[in-house]
Amino acid sequence: MSDRGDNGGKEGADAPSLEERATHSGSKIGDRRVRIIRPAAGEFRRRGGHYVATPRVDAAQSRLGRVAEGARRILFGARLTSEEEAGERLSKKTGLAILASDNISSSAYATEEAMRVLAIAGSAALALTMPIAIAVCVVLAVVILSESRVIRAYPNGGGSYIVAKDNHGVIPGLIAASALLIDYVLTVAVSSAAGVAAISSFVPAVHDHRVLWSLALIALLTVGNLRGIREAGVIFAAPTYVYVLSLLGLIGYGLFRIVSGDVPVAVIPRDAFEPTGLEMLTPLIVLRAFASGSVGLTGSEAIANGVPNFKPPESRNAVITLVSMGTIFGTLFLGLTYLATHIGIVPDQSELETVNSMLTRSLVGDGTPFYYLVQLSTAIILLLAANTGFSGFPRLASVLADDRFMPRQFAFRGERLAFSFGIIALALMSAAVLAAFHGSVTELVPLYTIGVFAAFTLSQSGLVRRWWRLRNPGWRLSVFINSFGTLVTGTVLVVVVYTKFFYGAWMVLLVMPILVGLLFAINRHYRTVHDALLLERPDEPIPVLKPPVVLAEFVPRNWWEWILHSQTALRLKLSLLFRPNTIVIDIPYHTEDTGHGVTPRGPEDSPQ
Amino acid sequence: MQLKRILVPLAGTSVDPEVLRVAIALGKPAKAEIVAIHVIEVRWNLPLDAILESESERGEGVLDDAVKVAEQSGAHIDTELVQAREAAAAIVDTARDRKSDLIVLGMPFRKRLGRVYVGKTVQGVYVGAHCAVLAYRQEETR
Repeated sequence: MSDRGDNGGKEGADAPSLEERATHSGSKIGDRRVRIIRPAAGEFRRRGGHYVATPRVDAAQSRLGRVAEGARRILFGARLTSEEEAGERLSKKTGLAILASDNISSSAYATEEAMRVLAIAGSAALALTMPIAIAVCVVLAVVILSESRVIRAYPNGGGSYIVAKDNHGVIPGLIAASALLIDYVLTVAVSSAAGVAAISSFVPAVHDHRVLWSLALIALLTVGNLRGIREAGVIFAAPTYVYVLSLLGLIGYGLFRIVSGDVPVAVIPRDAFEPTGLEMLTPLIVLRAFASGSVGLTGSEAIANGVPNFKPPESRNAVITLVSMGTIFGTLFLGLTYLATHIGIVPDQSELETVNSMLTRSLVGDGTPFYYLVQLSTAIILLLAANTGFSGFPRLASVLADDRFMPRQFAFRGERLAFSFGIIALALMSAAVLAAFHGSVTELVPLYTIGVFAAFTLSQSGLVRRWWRLRNPGWRLSVFINSFGTLVTGTVLVVVVYTKFFYGAWMVLLVMPILVGLLFAINRHYRTVHDALLLERPDEPIPVLKPPVVLAEFVPRNWWEWILHSQTALRLKLSLLFRPNTIVIDIPYHTEDTGHGVTPRGPEDSPQ
Repeated sequence: MQLKRILVPLAGTSVDPEVLRVAIALGKPAKAEIVAIHVIEVRWNLPLDAILESESERGEGVLDDAVKVAEQSGAHIDTELVQAREAAAAIVDTARDRKSDLIVLGMPFRKRLGRVYVGKTVQGVYVGAHCAVLAYRQEETR
């Protein structure tokens, strides 16, 4: 019946308390007992020296409120307390599924995007897809090597914003942050569009309404994230591994058929590119194809950002997961590219069917269960990849809000402990971008890679400065690796900007400085307000020059009765709010229904 | 016997939900007032009213869980958190002050030296209580 209080006690209560203590004498001497009276029992629970409100406090009182609460609970789930935030760490297997789905899913469209550019120069130019894929994989290897250094330097999670801000200063940090924010918006838009493209490959009717379908996917992800699905490891793990295994099976089967001399006949799309091509094959087209193919590098920074989420030893597990991610992506990308070019798949101009769908149909036949498995798992992993944006954007926005570069609301956690404001903002922006680009992956991809490579380049060069400054053991090797990483990612950035400028990249280059300016302006506002609110001396009087204004405000019983009253008090409050140094005292005057009219129920001294 | 007031001491063990359900079932015919009590035993080297954060937090948790169990059984219970030197004396005195008709004690199944072990609190309540005492021992298989 008891606990033995032997952890050491504190005599007297210095901290605010919600309880009273009454001493009662016992039947025998020495049997005194202290009764702890908890008037707020059930509404507040003690948690490590402070009190936490229980769900009862937030429970709706009115019938309408209970109905709304029930609907909200069905849609978004029950409220969570801060202590319920999942402390569950990720294993390597789950971490790979959750943090690497964005990068691995890029294999669903990276080959196609490179082929689309080359196809402009005719079918013969498609032979260059494989060398381009190899070049992209080399860049990926460099990025992974460099990112492993980020993990080593920032075991608490080193997003490009933090790395760039720490080592280059605020403005480069903000450039990296704005690049990442844009990238997250595009991740959601591109992945949703690519997911719908995977479905429309076998349900052509979906293609006519692909924008609506993509918007529906974004809405689904928004609701899921507001519920807090980020932590649901199993939901992520299964589809990611199904996708990887089914594509590995497809590649293995395709290679077997090629080796055994049974090369399948390529499926011809309805709207194939002209075999003779529309333009001459120029170095610019090759570079553009490389820039489009490097879309496969997106999402590779997610693991370095999420190091603290791994089980100990965090850094080692994160590096192993990072290398596994690169290996899986490289295998899928090279395998699919080899098969597509060897069999002779030509992309569909109208984007009605994806290259992967045509490749799968060529190998296993149309309408076979394996074909549907590949297409469905592709659609699902792309949906999960879009979710990476939902996990990254709100987290980065909250870090920026904590640093006072974004509105405070972005740091606020909702009832399900998700950064609700960031999630909704991301959903609205990605939906707008998706609608503006007609749900086309090809139209969106030119915008996509700039942010990624800008952030990579800034964080890699930031690390070079860090290693140079700290000169820890092995710093020379680290400087070499990250310098090489800066050079490679910087070169890719220049190539992407140069080759895709007129295809939409200019928009990102325009938006990025505007966003940096906006973040900076927000910070300046917060700093100004902070300075204005700061008392220079502790004894400095608060400037109150005008006498206080007392407002007695009539509060109707039901919310809808507001419209029957003139709202004079409300209007007075609003106008007085902007009057400097004015104290406004508001006395609410509540009423209750008597059946015939209303009777005042307080305050006691209120006029009749 | 008309049971009007039942006191249920709870220690935060696995037997708590069972003993509470037993008390609710016993009190239902006469709509008895049921009070769940948790006693924090304070060591003699500390003042009796010392603030014991972790013990209080645990005690509140035990009582809040009891309220949930009662709600699931369709009953309402009151709770009491007490600090005392000896749990048995505090339970007996609380039962006397509240004019309880019955104390329902839970006993987790424990063995020491091959015999079922009855703790000193159960023994103390048996010996000291003015009212009826019912001891509910957990099943051996658990």
